[in-house]
Amino acid sequence: MGSEHLSNNVRRLRFEHDQMTQQQLADKVGVTRQTIIAIEAGNYAPSLPLAFRIARTFGVPIEQVFQYDE
Amino acid sequence: MSKLQKSAWFNLGLLTIGSLFALMCFYWAAGRIEKGFNYINVILFLLMLCFIIPAVYIIGQKKSYEAGFDEREKMINQRATSFSLWGLVIVLYLSCFTPFVALGGGNILKVVYLPVIFICTILTAQLIKSIAIIVQCALEEKDG
Repeated sequence: MGSEHLSNNVRRLRFEHDQMTQQQLADKVGVTRQTIIAIEAGNYAPSLPLAFRIARTFGVPIEQVFQYDE
Repeated sequence: MSKLQKSAWFNLGLLTIGSLFALMCFYWAAGRIEKGFNYINVILFLLMLCFIIPAVYIIGQKKSYEAGFDEREKMINQRATSFSLWGLVIVLYLSCFTPFVALGGGNILKVVYLPVIFICTILTAQLIKSIAIIVQCALEEKDG
């Protein structure tokens, strides 16, 4: 459920992209707003396809969105 | 609130009310039926079948509705289903073994308790599933 080693910059990237709302991002990547909330809070680790869709929405490589801390 | 949460709250309310009503009706009917195989029992049995078959059909239809859930919601739903199966096994275990332990092997149990055990088992499984969905959603969305 949780993602202890996975951190992300989704919230920062949203604000850098014209203050995109959670709902707008959710609509673009095809999930619910609650899933975006859970990802941002670090309570849910998304699947690889979803992580790629989020990165592509922001136009950045996936490493800039998600980081795995050893 | 997402579709999954709405569905869980709806199930929780509807099944609680429906099952309590079914139990009350059953107790009311059971108190009046003393004979074995008679037309009232057959009618009651057929009425219950008329309730169970559409219920199973509706649950089957809901699976296609769940296709609209996203990956996190599907995972929450699967986890809640496994919790509910565990709950179902525990309720069945308790309802079958508690009388055995309390009364002993030589005693007799009224058959009226068998449908009650069935209704309670279904109710418990659905209650656990709905509560598990609501709790998981709340835990994952906190600090949002």
